[in-house]
Amino acid sequence: MARVRAHDADAFEALYDRYHRLVYGVAFRMLGDAPTAEDVTQAVFLKLWSAPNLYQSGNFEGWIVRITRNRALDILRSKAHGQSELPEQQPSEDDLEETAFADIDAGLVRAAIAQLPAEQRDPIRLGFFGGVTHEQIAQRTGVPLGTVKTRIRAGLRKLRTTLEGTVSV
Amino acid sequence: MNTSAHDEMLDTVAVYALGALPEREARAVREHLRTCAECREEYRLLAPAVSAVGISAEACVDAASAGASVAPPGPLLKKRIMQQIRPNVGEMRAVRPIVWPAYAVAAACVVAVLITSIFNTSLNSQLRESQTRVAQLNAHAAATARELNTQRTAIADLLSPDSQRFEVANGYVIKHGSRLYIAMNALPEPPKGKVYQAWTLRQGASKMSPSVTFVPNGSGVAVVPVPVNAASVVAVAVSVEPDGGSKQPTSTPTFVLKLAS
Repeated sequence: MARVRAHDADAFEALYDRYHRLVYGVAFRMLGDAPTAEDVTQAVFLKLWSAPNLYQSGNFEGWIVRITRNRALDILRSKAHGQSELPEQQPSEDDLEETAFADIDAGLVRAAIAQLPAEQRDPIRLGFFGGVTHEQIAQRTGVPLGTVKTRIRAGLRKLRTTLEGTVSV
Repeated sequence: MNTSAHDEMLDTVAVYALGALPEREARAVREHLRTCAECREEYRLLAPAVSAVGISAEACVDAASAGASVAPPGPLLKKRIMQQIRPNVGEMRAVRPIVWPAYAVAAACVVAVLITSIFNTSLNSQLRESQTRVAQLNAHAAATARELNTQRTAIADLLSPDSQRFEVANGYVIKHGSRLYIAMNALPEPPKGKVYQAWTLRQGASKMSPSVTFVPNGSGVAVVPVPVNAASVVAVAVSVEPDGGSKQPTSTPTFVLKLAS
């Protein structure tokens, strides 16, 4: 990132090669169509090029995932035209100095998520990729709101524990 | 906040970390995190797991077998992005030189040699043609210059008071030093295929010698320098002869003039 901050296009290209699948994957999972996901990917990387100081330190993967998710939420908001309540943007890097699971393999994460009980896995996926609030999750699944929150927390704790057993933290 | 209420807040912190709280509740959680160490620790613990959920969506080339939901974007997206990046760094970084493969360089050289050879051949041909044309023009210019000089000399000779003028039919024979002229006026145009031809009789010769042929201009005027040493000529004649001239007169002469010795 230091070279990207110095406007080194080759370094930027290497960064794109390394992370474009992640950015595009998150955008596609949230928006559901390739052209819009590509637009989000382009916007994220151009933002990274024009304002590289937005990233300070910590887990770059976690940071760029949040940037991508927030950008996708903006699009979902523009499509919703204020008709439905959307979740707040995910906490930015200012709220977190995380280094855990840096450079973790996506396949390992998918395997860890697959080990979660469906009652925990589904609201976590829906909350993260669905662009919906916990109240909307409760409405869609017919599960009480308190239970949804408890299952989300339990699922995230279990996911962390599983990943800690897979990679060195 | 009692234990039950705080446990519920810990659950809410998890939803906040996931990014699934509406704005009004998210603001309350942010305020709470400033003052509650236990909730901050819970957030610190869960946030990496949330990031991992995002990472699970990474696109894979073989998405189906890798359990991913989507294949990665094509190269056009990268091209589109890099096209917007590169112009911005044009002033800051040198353009990477294009390195041609050796076979391409060799092929290009062969083509260049062929083209040069063909071009040279063509140029040489054009050069030779140009040189010939220049030589012709130079010869023509020299002949014109000589003709002009002859005419100037003739004018000078004809106008000179020292010239000897001998009147003949339709004109004069003029002698000036070693030069001899036939100056005709109102000379009829010769019949088709015929020309006028001059004849000279040299001193001691028994018969006339053929000399220049000529035709008058549209006004019937002809001023003809006779290529002979006038000092050795004792007689001059003009006759109509076939085009190209004759070795001896074939028609009655227009005039025959004996020059005074």
